[in-house]
Amino acid sequence: MTISEPISEVDIEVSINGRTRRHRVPARLLLSDYIRDTVGLTGTHLGCEHGYCGACTVIVDGDAVRSCLMLAVQADGAEVRTVEDLAPAGSDCLSPMQQAFHDNHALQCGFCTAGFLMTLDSVDPAEWSEPERVVELLSGNLCRCTGYQNIVTAVTEAWSAYDGSGGSNDG
Amino acid sequence: MSLDIDSHIRHSTRHIGRSVPRREDRGPLTGRGRYVADIKIAGMLEVVFVRSVEAHARIVSIDTSEALAVEGVRAVFTAADLADVKTFPDYIPYIGPVRQRPLGTGTVRYVGTPYAAVVADDRYIAEDAAALVAAGTTYEPLPTVADLDQALAPGAPKLHDHWENNCSFDVAPHKPEVDRAFEQADHTFTETYVSQRQTGLPMETRGVVADITDGTLTVWSSTQSPHMVRSTVALMLGMPEPQVRVVHPTIGGGFGTKTHIYPEDIVVPWIARRLDRPARWIEDRMENLVASVHAREQRHEVEVAYDDDGTIRGVRCASMLDMGSGEIFMPGTAPVFVTNACITGGYDFPNMQARTIGVVTNKTPSGAYRGFGIPEGAFVMERIIDRVARLTGTDRVELRRRMLVRPGQTPYVMHGGGRLDSGSHTESFERGVEMAQPALERARARYAGDPDVRVGVGYSNYVEPTSPSYHLTTGHWGGGDAATVRVDPDGSVRVAAGLSAFGQGAETTAAQLAADALGVSPEEVTVVLGDTERAPYGLGSWGSRGAMMLTGSVLLASERLMDKARAIAAHMLEAAEADIVLTDGAFHVAGSDQPSVSWAEVGTAAWIRYVDLPDGMEPGLETSGYFHPENLQHQLDDTGKINAAASWSNGTHIGVVSVRVSTGEVRIEDYVVVHDCGTVINPALVEGQVHGGVAQGIAGAMYEHFQYDPDTANPRFASFMDYLVPTCAEVPHMEVDHFESPAPEQPLGVKGCGEGGTVGPPAVVAGAVSDALSEWGVDLTECPVTPVAVRAAIRSAEAAGTGADS
Amino acid sequence: MKPAPFDYCRPSTVTEALEALSSAESSRVLAGGQSLVPAMNFRLTDVSLLVDINRIEGLASVDCDPGGVTVGAAATQTQVLDHDGAASVVSGLRAALRHVGHLQIRNRGTVCGSLAHADPAAELPALAVASDAVIAVSGPDGERRIDAADFFIGAFWTALDDGELITEVRFPAEPPGSMTIVDEISRRAGDFAVAGLVATVEAEGGAVRGARLVGFGLGGVPTRLEAAEAAIRDWAPDHPADTLAEAVMADTADAFDDIHATSWYRREAVAALTVRAARRALAAEEAA
Ligand SMILES: Cc1cc2nc3c(=O)[nH]c(=O)nc-3n(C[C@H](O)[C@H](O)[C@H](O)COP(=O)(O)OP(=O)(O)OC[C@H]3O[C@@H](n4cnc5c(N)ncnc54)[C@H](O)[C@@H]3O)c2cc1C
Ligand code: FES
Ligand code: FES
Repeated sequence: MTISEPISEVDIEVSINGRTRRHRVPARLLLSDYIRDTVGLTGTHLGCEHGYCGACTVIVDGDAVRSCLMLAVQADGAEVRTVEDLAPAGSDCLSPMQQAFHDNHALQCGFCTAGFLMTLDSVDPAEWSEPERVVELLSGNLCRCTGYQNIVTAVTEAWSAYDGSGGSNDG
Repeated sequence: MSLDIDSHIRHSTRHIGRSVPRREDRGPLTGRGRYVADIKIAGMLEVVFVRSVEAHARIVSIDTSEALAVEGVRAVFTAADLADVKTFPDYIPYIGPVRQRPLGTGTVRYVGTPYAAVVADDRYIAEDAAALVAAGTTYEPLPTVADLDQALAPGAPKLHDHWENNCSFDVAPHKPEVDRAFEQADHTFTETYVSQRQTGLPMETRGVVADITDGTLTVWSSTQSPHMVRSTVALMLGMPEPQVRVVHPTIGGGFGTKTHIYPEDIVVPWIARRLDRPARWIEDRMENLVASVHAREQRHEVEVAYDDDGTIRGVRCASMLDMGSGEIFMPGTAPVFVTNACITGGYDFPNMQARTIGVVTNKTPSGAYRGFGIPEGAFVMERIIDRVARLTGTDRVELRRRMLVRPGQTPYVMHGGGRLDSGSHTESFERGVEMAQPALERARARYAGDPDVRVGVGYSNYVEPTSPSYHLTTGHWGGGDAATVRVDPDGSVRVAAGLSAFGQGAETTAAQLAADALGVSPEEVTVVLGDTERAPYGLGSWGSRGAMMLTGSVLLASERLMDKARAIAAHMLEAAEADIVLTDGAFHVAGSDQPSVSWAEVGTAAWIRYVDLPDGMEPGLETSGYFHPENLQHQLDDTGKINAAASWSNGTHIGVVSVRVSTGEVRIEDYVVVHDCGTVINPALVEGQVHGGVAQGIAGAMYEHFQYDPDTANPRFASFMDYLVPTCAEVPHMEVDHFESPAPEQPLGVKGCGEGGTVGPPAVVAGAVSDALSEWGVDLTECPVTPVAVRAAIRSAEAAGTGADS
Repeated sequence: MKPAPFDYCRPSTVTEALEALSSAESSRVLAGGQSLVPAMNFRLTDVSLLVDINRIEGLASVDCDPGGVTVGAAATQTQVLDHDGAASVVSGLRAALRHVGHLQIRNRGTVCGSLAHADPAAELPALAVASDAVIAVSGPDGERRIDAADFFIGAFWTALDDGELITEVRFPAEPPGSMTIVDEISRRAGDFAVAGLVATVEAEGGAVRGARLVGFGLGGVPTRLEAAEAAIRDWAPDHPADTLAEAVMADTADAFDDIHATSWYRREAVAALTVRAARRALAAEEAA
């Protein structure tokens, strides 16, 4: 874990969507590029690379973070989740939140969508219940297509579905 | 043109008019969308462009040696290497030719001009080398012009040596009737209205991947206009069009910025050909802000003649567009013409004399952005109406009522020739006023106890030309589009159209149309868009043309296909063609219980079992339709007028705002939209277009503004910290209602709705804030309406002593 | 927008970190990376060695006692925001952090990193000054404690010397009977402030008894509003707002211009925020 001598390339071990990956990466490699190019999971998008748009949001050890503002080496030993991990594996189903986005026309070009979904996924679903809280939660993700209204509706609806079922939810 | 898709089809369900769920969603929702940056080809090299940091300068020398020495760098190209590439065409005869080269050479005219391309094994290395090329570049700075006044000042530095001055065009109609109106009116005033520089800003930047295999160049580009890219790449690289294939993968938004054909669209394919390796360039956000077109920077010098009773007699308006350097293909000329064509909005106001001027400056070239000039004009007209209402003590709603195009007045020919084919101009305003009333009361009640807050309301009644001719914009292309429909031997349906798609749901729409036209379900329809190899020539998606073009071309092709299919079915059922009906995907003889023939059987007969075909019938079951709206004009008529749009949508926006007097903070409390885009194919998609458009309109009304240093023409923005794209906290709840006035001359009556949402907000916000601050006499004439602008208006009113005492 | 090459190390003790920092010419501490990494992506910052302090043992703690709150250098803004104990001792922490960026930023960004970064429009430096926070620093020459009032020297410029590291910051408990209000004008949700105010107000019997007022987004460093602190004493809602506002105007004469706002706007805005804060504190007192 400790790297006491300065080095320009680092061996890292990252769990991505439950699968352990080992790579030797340049110290300067951004986590976003690691996920997209090295690992090949291109569902995480880059819209600004300076922390403002939220398209690159992934979950690292349970927290939503900007993958464009983290180095791959900082994810060494961490558990990373990306949009590819949201839908229940091995089925055609979508997660309740993905389904709510689809049902409410909460995406158009879809470029921002992964970021929204990951932000939402990182919090306690109880936070989906209050439109005002949802707006605050989502204010770190830019969408240029939808005007946000249908996104907020989708989140509230996903909450109703979640709350109504009272069951577990992996979306 | 009329297409009767129901004559021979009995549908158990119609799909047109329903919110059929989008087929486009699944990829992005699950992380499996395929955008241009997701394309990976073995051996692909990465391209980074080196861009001018000077706004106006001669490039004296470029030393690429250090960059070339970096490990992993494969090549560095400058303009000299691209001598074999043709210059971008200057197709439009009436504007100054810019003779744009794919890479800047000699003189660079804006910060961001690409002048070298570094090719390396990966983007990190390419950026390292690009920094060295930048450091190795010597400029000889030239004096700059940063705005209209500087550009037009006598003796101003010229951008283009071969021009007389910095004016690209100046078109001034003269209308004697307007002069008469001025002579007869009780009063006149003059004012200057300003719209600021903005951009479409898709969340996905641009990007190009190119690969040459077996002599065919394939270009994946995040473009709204793949066929035009193909024609231009082929022309400039000197290749036959069939050897160039342009594909747009999933596109992360375009909003007009991706209709243009940029240097990178040419240079990246050239590099792939030159190095015989796949090459990729993905625009980053820093370059996107200077290298993708800007828009909307216009100034309007207005003279208004009006009477005591509020009647506006005549308006003279000089509309001036800051084109930036003008170095963009297609030129960014057209929006200001659209501004003037649409300036009178939904109002019956013939006495408009609008002069159109384009000026070049040392800034990023301006071009297309959703709304395409309409918001700028709408802003001017609504501000004029509010001013006259205030000056004459006329009620703002009443004055608008008096001026609107009334029911029964369509087709109505506007001052510049635009022909409002149908619409609900008065009705939608009345409906909007009704919807806004409770919102206004709510806001008043909410702030009743707060002495620092004022509440106001603002209005906009606009028209939106749809499916325009592209001839005036490009000097070249027209305004039609094609689709091919095919039924395969297994009965499955494939639709291919020249249109592109970047989030509007065009694939879903095409499937709905084909489904209803062929009596199948949308799920059974495969749709191919945005691939020059697999779809017929089309101009792409812009100008709110998607819905109408798809309707026209898909229905036309489908109808042709149905004719043939019916003939085959009739033959197979041994019945008369006229008796054949299609019910739930199978052909029957009307009124009989006879067995039916399925699409698969018809398809099999057409392609394989010729024995089942009528005698002498040509095999195959694939038809094309090229749709060109009949009443679309491409050139000015003898009187200098033109109806350059196939149809005209309309709408009303009304917003209620609260303003904090002490800080100038503005909050949009409620936003009401009533709009009319003719027949609606998919209500959810239309509503989505409205929401997104309004959000962009609000961005322009209150937030986004590209500012330049007046002394150096250097951008004063570099990131999303300075270019303020609204978040969901800034976009208010929108209440949307619809009218449907079918386009009388278009298939199904479809008009189009891509841009209208952007039009209202600048006028609405400025109107509402001025209304809220009427006790100070505030009358805003510029966007964006920022807290500083609001405070400045209050302060100057107070300084002039016109304000309420406070 | 990819960072230029650099070396990286990830020490496990402060001593190792200090050694690493002094081993290279342009070494930098990497905390949350929410300001440093964007600057590196833009290639605006020259870094030869990045010293990642996130895995130094004990540095990610938030400790709270009746006398104050101590925040370690690797503790994230979210950690502090969600810490109920911290909020009850120093209410200003939560009030300030609610304005800092967005969830995803706060999940990585650190409180100490914000102080070290010293953005003139940032909330936390102003809170540190308003609450007399003390910043603990380790360096090649040992440890020292710096009062927040002495820590901020200019925009993006602090009293930290080369090779020094903030190890923690201590926010003293708020005086009893006072509340801290953090209010700002920002263009969008989560943006840095165009102008802002941290006000620790003591209200009693319907009047302001005293207040510590610090403006931000006005100049290079958080601005103590001394004239306003005098003018606000004994202020009550029926007093004219003008004198208070004028005092703020006098305190902020050096406010700067940029593309987001003019100098006069910033001054007026902070004046308005000051009046607003006084009213809010009095309303809260009345409600309590
Ligand atoms: C989209 C966005 C919005 C934001 N909005 C706000 C906002 O509204 N208000 C606000 O205040 N901030 C905002 N921030 C900045 C954010 O709060 C940063 O997290 C913070 O300023 C820096 O903390 P950090 O831990 O990320 O530091 P880093 O980015 O890691 O470091 C910043 C600088 O401080 C130095 N440094 C860090 N820690 C130490 C230490 N312990 N000792 C010595 N030097 C150190 C680093 O070397 C570097 O120079 C925003 C950031 C983004 C990307
Ligand atoms: S790409 Fe990371 S926030 Fe925009
Ligand atoms: S759907 Fe296009 S940016 Fe959000």
